[in-house]
Amino acid sequence: MAAAGPSVFLLMVNGQVESAQFPEYDDLYCKYCFVYGQDWAPTAGLEEGISQITSKSQDVRQALVWNFPIDVTFKSTNPYGWPQIVLSVYGPDVFGNDVVRGYGAVHLPFSPGRHKRTIPMFVPESTSKLQKFTSWFMGRRPEYTDPKVVAQGEGREGENAEAERLKAAQLMLPFSSQ
Amino acid sequence: MGLPGEGGWDVRRCGRGEGTELPAAGPEEMVSENPHLGNQPEPLQEDSDTRPLSMTTRRGPRSLPPIPSASRTGFAEFSMRERMREKLQAARSKAESTLLQEIPTPRPRRLQSPGEKELETEFGAEPGEEAQKTQQEDDSQSRSRVKFRDSVRKIKTKPPVPPGFPSAEEAYNFFTFNFDPEPEESEEKPKAKNRDGTTQEEEEGEEEEPPVQGIHKTDEQLLISATEAEAFLWGLDHAAADFVAVRPADYESAHVRLQMEKELLFVPSRLTVPTYKKLPENVQPRYLEDEGLYIGTRPDVPRTCQNIMENRLLTQEPGRRWFGDDGRIVALPNPIKPFPSRPPVLTQEQDFRAELETLYKKAVKYVHRSQHMIGSGDSPGNFQLDIDISGLIFTHHPCFSREHVLAAKLAQLYDQYLARHQRNKAKFLTDKLQALRNAVQTGLNPEKTHKSLDTTQKTINEYKSEIRQTRKLRDAEQEKDRMLLKTIIKVWKEMKSLREFQRFTNTPLKLVLRKEKVDQKADEEAYEAEIQAEISELLEEHMEEHEQKMEAYRAAYQQWKAWKKAQRAKKKKKKQAVEEHPEEEMGEPYPEEDPVKPVPPEPTDRALMEHQVRERAARSRRRPGEPLLVPELSLAGSVTPNEQCPRVEVLRREDVKRRSIYLKVIFNDKEVSRTDSRPLGADFRVHFGQIFNLQIFNWPESLTLQVYETVGHSGTTLLAEVFLPIPETTIVTGRAPIEEVEFSSNQHVTLDHEGVGSGMPFSFEADGSNQLILMTSGKVSNSVAWAIGENGIPLIPPLSQQNIGFRSALKRADAISSIGTSGLTDLKKLAKWAAESKLDPNDPNNAPLMQLISVATSGESYVPDFFRLEQLQQEFNFVSDEELNRSKRFRLLCLRSQEVPEFRNYKQIPAYDREIMEKVFQDYEKWLRDRNVIETKDHIDPHRAMVAKYLQQVRESVINRFLIAKHHFLLSDLIVEEEVPNISILGLSLFKLAEQKRPLRPRRKGRKKVTAQNLSDGDIKVLVNIIRAYDIPVRKPTASKFQQPSRSSRTFSEKHAASPTTHSPTHSADYPLGQVLVRPFVEVSFQRTICHTTTAEGPNPSWNEELELPFRAPNGDYSTSSLQSVKDDVFINIFDEVLYDVLEDDRERGSGIHTRIERHWLGCVKIPFSTIYFQAKIDGTFKIDIPPVLLGYSKERSMIIERGFDSVRSLSEGSYITLFITMEPQLVPGESVREKFDSQEDEKLLQATEKFQAECALKFPHRQCLTTVTDISGKTVFITRYLKPLNPPQELLEGCPNNPQATAELVARYVSLIPFLPDAVSFAGICDLWSTSDQFLDLLAGDEEEHAVLLCNYFLSLGKKAWLVMGSAIPEGPTAYVLTREQSHYLIWNPCSGHFYGQFDTFCPLKSVGCLIGPDNIWFNIQRHDSPLRINFDVTKPKLWKSFFSRSLLYPGLSSVQPEELIYQRTDKAAAAELQDRIEKILKEKIMDWRPRHLTRWNRYCTSALRHFLPLLERSRGEDVEDDHRGELLKQLGDYRFSGFPLHMPYSELKPLIEAVYSTGVHNIDVPNVEFALAVYIHPYPKNVLSVWIYVASLIRNR
Repeated sequence: MAAAGPSVFLLMVNGQVESAQFPEYDDLYCKYCFVYGQDWAPTAGLEEGISQITSKSQDVRQALVWNFPIDVTFKSTNPYGWPQIVLSVYGPDVFGNDVVRGYGAVHLPFSPGRHKRTIPMFVPESTSKLQKFTSWFMGRRPEYTDPKVVAQGEGREGENAEAERLKAAQLMLPFSSQ
Repeated sequence: MGLPGEGGWDVRRCGRGEGTELPAAGPEEMVSENPHLGNQPEPLQEDSDTRPLSMTTRRGPRSLPPIPSASRTGFAEFSMRERMREKLQAARSKAESTLLQEIPTPRPRRLQSPGEKELETEFGAEPGEEAQKTQQEDDSQSRSRVKFRDSVRKIKTKPPVPPGFPSAEEAYNFFTFNFDPEPEESEEKPKAKNRDGTTQEEEEGEEEEPPVQGIHKTDEQLLISATEAEAFLWGLDHAAADFVAVRPADYESAHVRLQMEKELLFVPSRLTVPTYKKLPENVQPRYLEDEGLYIGTRPDVPRTCQNIMENRLLTQEPGRRWFGDDGRIVALPNPIKPFPSRPPVLTQEQDFRAELETLYKKAVKYVHRSQHMIGSGDSPGNFQLDIDISGLIFTHHPCFSREHVLAAKLAQLYDQYLARHQRNKAKFLTDKLQALRNAVQTGLNPEKTHKSLDTTQKTINEYKSEIRQTRKLRDAEQEKDRMLLKTIIKVWKEMKSLREFQRFTNTPLKLVLRKEKVDQKADEEAYEAEIQAEISELLEEHMEEHEQKMEAYRAAYQQWKAWKKAQRAKKKKKKQAVEEHPEEEMGEPYPEEDPVKPVPPEPTDRALMEHQVRERAARSRRRPGEPLLVPELSLAGSVTPNEQCPRVEVLRREDVKRRSIYLKVIFNDKEVSRTDSRPLGADFRVHFGQIFNLQIFNWPESLTLQVYETVGHSGTTLLAEVFLPIPETTIVTGRAPIEEVEFSSNQHVTLDHEGVGSGMPFSFEADGSNQLILMTSGKVSNSVAWAIGENGIPLIPPLSQQNIGFRSALKRADAISSIGTSGLTDLKKLAKWAAESKLDPNDPNNAPLMQLISVATSGESYVPDFFRLEQLQQEFNFVSDEELNRSKRFRLLCLRSQEVPEFRNYKQIPAYDREIMEKVFQDYEKWLRDRNVIETKDHIDPHRAMVAKYLQQVRESVINRFLIAKHHFLLSDLIVEEEVPNISILGLSLFKLAEQKRPLRPRRKGRKKVTAQNLSDGDIKVLVNIIRAYDIPVRKPTASKFQQPSRSSRTFSEKHAASPTTHSPTHSADYPLGQVLVRPFVEVSFQRTICHTTTAEGPNPSWNEELELPFRAPNGDYSTSSLQSVKDDVFINIFDEVLYDVLEDDRERGSGIHTRIERHWLGCVKIPFSTIYFQAKIDGTFKIDIPPVLLGYSKERSMIIERGFDSVRSLSEGSYITLFITMEPQLVPGESVREKFDSQEDEKLLQATEKFQAECALKFPHRQCLTTVTDISGKTVFITRYLKPLNPPQELLEGCPNNPQATAELVARYVSLIPFLPDAVSFAGICDLWSTSDQFLDLLAGDEEEHAVLLCNYFLSLGKKAWLVMGSAIPEGPTAYVLTREQSHYLIWNPCSGHFYGQFDTFCPLKSVGCLIGPDNIWFNIQRHDSPLRINFDVTKPKLWKSFFSRSLLYPGLSSVQPEELIYQRTDKAAAAELQDRIEKILKEKIMDWRPRHLTRWNRYCTSALRHFLPLLERSRGEDVEDDHRGELLKQLGDYRFSGFPLHMPYSELKPLIEAVYSTGVHNIDVPNVEFALAVYIHPYPKNVLSVWIYVASLIRNR
């Protein structure tokens, strides 16, 4: 490691988690965090965030609008391990327990400018029908030990029982990176 | 900045356009992201379009579309007009007043023209938009606009023109500026603001300074914004009416909802997409493959998936770039290799490097020696040719009798017949003929023909000619068949007659003609039909021929006629001429050839033809009705015995018997072997059945068999030579067919008996006519093949040895010959095969093959002389390999990805090479270099250095083994999922549902555990809660300084008796009751972070304070394995805070207090971090490790006893501290590796252990039950194998021969002196490795198990009853202790400290007992309690202890893994002394280092005094010397205030010693005139076990 600090490049990201489409659920909030490689380090801004709870809009779109701002700056020496934003959406189930409604991850845009990303969300499925029932009943759905897992490939092959449910979740993230 | 009106137009248009399209394209739009501009109100507008009109009222005005309705627009227009009029008037009045004063310049002229111009440019600039607008908008609307415009015009003309105006541009800008914010505002404003917006507008209108001309000039903009304005004005009017609308609650039926979801969610269909949809319109799919272009195999994707994908692409990305010309999704060729290839498994890094090392070898030129020699470079030729000679048959031999000759002939004919019959060519040809006729029939049929007449005629003609040929062939074949049959019969007849004639038979041949009946009628019909068909064909042919001939005839005739005429004319002329010149003309006609008059061809005669056909049929074919004759040759006949034969025949037979045959095998003109000599049989067959294995070195050139005949005892004659073909390289033993090679000789032999001889004429006829000359001939049946070596490789000489011309090309095409089997050597075959198997010549996979074939066939000589696996690799190499290797950054990245420990957590690898320091690698390289070099610098003792090295290596190998396992995740590692609940849990949870959310009596909930994945520095804290301490040593009064203290009545040796000690009255007298005995405080240091509590008072202080220490993982790596290997300890030091008065002058006492705080170390508790990590929390009372001698302090036992506390606590010496330690957040400890180790144990035993453990776990899941352990080589071993009596060092036994208890203590002490090193640390929590006692003593490091095993073994050898106790203790957690049975009671030994406790000792650290292990059995605790206080250790009671080996499973007598006997070397005393000096020196340096700002003085006198004193301590094992020592010391150092203590440790490394000294904080004293003393003593025990004593002290001179 150079004494003066190696020369780095910066990736500045600002944007927002705009809205989501979860036709089945309401009153959701979302968390975001970033997963990045070893050569990356956040220099400014918030690495994690948790949004307000939003209700569905009353119109046809039934969008869940958060407009939750993201502002973070990374520095790095290596494009390897380019940051990914990991979003996880939570909301109450029938019994009022907070359960996870979706995980999703996407790489930050590679080019400067406004970008909009739509991230498909999924949740891990229970391994059996019985477990599905009990997990529904007890309000403890299967969830990842860490949301950051969704941005990693390692060990995912074990999730053979995971049936991904695609939700059309519209998360619009206009990024600018430089 | 565009015009506001324009903006409005744009948005509007856009919205409307979409709105009209929306119902159709709705779902698509929602999924795809393109049409949205991120404009939120927009969709609202879209929706409102689709909604009924009445609903629009509650929308914002902006969202209201101009509804195409004439009346409404009329109304809107009207109101608008009204409004404008008002505005204008207001503005005008104002403008008149203001502007008239300002600008008096008359510009009435320009007033109109700019407006018009503007109008033109405005619309001219956007003609397209206008057009679109007009198109899209309804007529009514445009009409309304026109009207509106007119109205504005009207207004425009009306007002009187004020004299002064700003320029047109100014006005324009002004207006645009003013109007600009307004629409946006209205866009964003909620509906409540609508009215404000409009009023604002009005106000704005009023505020405008030049309102009139503004309106005049910008009427066009107004126009444009008019529609917009109209929109909300119109809406406003309505809103004004029913602004507060009462409407029913929104209800969405599920159906509607579903419908909406259907719109929202896009589910691609699974149906196949028709091709035309995927292609641009009017484009036919184009199949490249059919055009001969190469298309690789596409990856295998299920049909439904493809369909779904296609459907999705079609709707989502209609750009259609996704589909190729053939209408399928564009795809690259399948990248999956047909055969899996696996990189070599790298066992160890070292090997892997060695394997990958490139060896440079100098190129060796291949020397072509002679063709027949094998090059020296090749392996010495051990090639083998197998020649199998099975037998020999003579087709003629001089000894043949006539009958034999006939028999041979018959046999030959019969063979021929059989062969022909098998082939059955006649039948084949007949069938072909039939097929051709059919073809002609169908071809002639006009209805069926689709092709043009031309081609039909042509094919028919072709067919016909073929029919002709086939018929001829068939006839020939049939004739031959028939002839053959006839000949066979004839020969057989001859033979029969011969046999009859000579009245004996020589051969067993017998011919039987079998007749097969045929259906005469059908046969006749078929025959007739055949003939008729033939005749008709022939007729046709003849007709054609006739026709042709007629044609030719006619032509010829014409010619002839012409000629005739001419002739006649000539003749006439001639006549005339002759009359004139008769002589001249006479000869004239003769030179000209007189054309013969052509004869007209005869028409074919049907009858004649039929006759011909029939004749031929009769000749060649079986007559109808005639039975089929099938000859069968058998050897069923009997040969006439010799007695019945005439003499000549007997002679012949005897002659035959005398003859014998053998063969010589000649290889390359050299005889290599010969067969046995076999007699010639009566049937002239010789059976050899011999196989010759020719070991050859050279390529065979010729292979010959020589047939020799021996007659009687006379010489042998060479009958014939048989040349055998050299087999092809593909023919190897086992696959070679038996071949028959014919031979013949030209010998002339005449014999004087019945034998016909050879080369001699003879005849069967009596008259000697029809002579035959037969030569000796025969067949050798043999097979020649290449042998196969042991490893399956054919033993064939290399190709290079074969003839040169053919091979040179091959040799250069190394690629092929290396891949290729020997079949590839024949290029023609290869090419043929390639053509036959329809290899795609465009497939890149086949490229080399194709190239080779083209080279071979075209004769071009260029073949690349190298072979590459990745032929394109070089194109993609952007730097050369050397350059890449030189790159430091690349290297760093590689090392990191290999998870080399030094670089595993390297963050922010610099982007440029120049920023990487060379020293980054230095350590690593050094480590690589030194890994096998034992280095003694860090380790003072060479033996320990070796051990450390060894441990390091074991650790590395184990870690390497488990690095892979670390990357293997289970589902549970990633996903938290509830287990499948059983009924009780389910019931409980049901019950829980009914529970109150906030119960009055809250229950404790477990902390959530955190996986150590995404933690960073500062996230983890170690919480130490110090509650209280007991029995802290108290200060001794300084008054006792000058008096020689009496020996304390209380002795440490009494502790075992556990009897209350008497107290010394003098002591209590020394202390006034109110005086502070001690002011202890606790200091916790961890990773050099220090926290301390407040100071309490008294020997039994209570702090109850929580200290928080941050934890920092090594290298910032918070992975589980890294945390497990943290070796740091938490030091909990107890100090006494002493205040010293430092006032120099007593006179100042009245005015101020000057004291100095000193702290005196009293003792410490050391808890390894790994224990905290694995235990999650540590809660209990611990014994404080107090140095044996604590100068100035004594235990204040007497007072406690006096005050009657001792009934509360059990009497036990030592001080105790109650602690609670945990980590925040709680970390999930690493799990042991899920790996089953292999074992050498009996399978049955292993099964039993599993069963036993399962049973135990079922009953008491928390009790430790151990049956098998892993030994140091990673094998599973049954645990009892570790226990075996082993001899302790003789030296220890001799110590106190009469006191077995003392001996036991000494042994325990010896064991405890072996350093403790937890396996969990050395093996990263992976597994618990058990080393045997000798390994343990060699390594001199181990954890509880090793200590316990060794101690237990010693006790066993001392004759005690001893067991290993597996249980849990504080602070170690799961651990191993040793239990011994004394006469009446049990003792529990802590093997690591050497202490022992009675069973009922409350301060015994062992808290629970899981199982006991003896040398021959395992007992699991099945009592209700597991605390040693409450259980019975009598293992003979099966109700209390479940034993592993019982009557059902008898102890099989397992052998021990321990050695027979331990051998102890005496430790080198000199080395120990040297080590002692070095340690002392190093420690002194360290202390000076720790005091950088002060001068450190060493008191030599004191040091030497201490040095003398330390051996005493060792001898007495730290007890019983205090007072003597104190007295002596005090005597010697009379005027010094002395604080110090001896530390005692087992010796492992230097670092723990330094840490221990540091933790005492002796160096922290900063009194100016302090002096230090430090002495080290090492007492060597056998086998390099060293006991280290360090005495540190600080001295302050008393004045």
